[in-house]
Amino acid sequence: MLQLTGLWMAVATFLGIWWGHVGVRWLEAHSPNIRPPALILIVIGIALQIVSLFTPNLTLAGVASIVGITFLWDAFELYRQQKRVIQGHAPANPANPRHAAYLATPNSQAITDDLLEREPSDPTVQTASWQVARIKNQKSRARKI
Amino acid sequence: MNVIGLGLGLFSFFMIGFGFVWVIRGEYYLGYLWWPYPLLFGIILIIVSLFMSPIWSALLGITGASSIWGATEMKEQAVRADLGWFRRNPRPKPAPPLVEVIKKIPAPHL
Repeated sequence: MLQLTGLWMAVATFLGIWWGHVGVRWLEAHSPNIRPPALILIVIGIALQIVSLFTPNLTLAGVASIVGITFLWDAFELYRQQKRVIQGHAPANPANPRHAAYLATPNSQAITDDLLEREPSDPTVQTASWQVARIKNQKSRARKI
Repeated sequence: MNVIGLGLGLFSFFMIGFGFVWVIRGEYYLGYLWWPYPLLFGIILIIVSLFMSPIWSALLGITGASSIWGATEMKEQAVRADLGWFRRNPRPKPAPPLVEVIKKIPAPHL
């Protein structure tokens, strides 16, 4: 018979990480104050660790602990996400008063565009800076000869 | 008390942490076009986990899922490096096997 424990752990890990990305972004963008959601995540995270300790079934105990750990990490990520918004590395939500204040601050780096919504450069193609560095190397080698 | 569940939670914590490291290094040295390989590696680990003892199955399942997540993170990491938020490797990176096929598939991201 197939051993489904690993599959359940994989689902818990992947969904935990998925929520850690999508859910944390949404929570941070829509919360006027991130402390209450962070506290709720910490309480749920600790409660799930306690549930895990008193659950005799290995699969349920593992899933509870994994989801709990990701919730604890998410509480920390809420603060990191807030920092990204302030730095302009994540889009600010003008409808959120906290974000509106970041946008209104003089010399603010906060922006409403999502800079990550673009295609990366082709990694197999030589970039201009690499070509400049290579030409310099060739010239210095030629001088030595 | 059952501490094995807690141990698995801590293992997933370290595997996710390790994921951040290998995604950054992998994108720097190899480039994001290698993304299908950690994805396949993760899927294979999860399939293998179906035939192992419960503990090994759990460890492989967690490792496989974090590898799949890492694959979905490589494209965004490449954009972050392009934007100057992370160190960018200006050297041309090795093309993965089947690169022309990979370029036609949109890289997944969360």
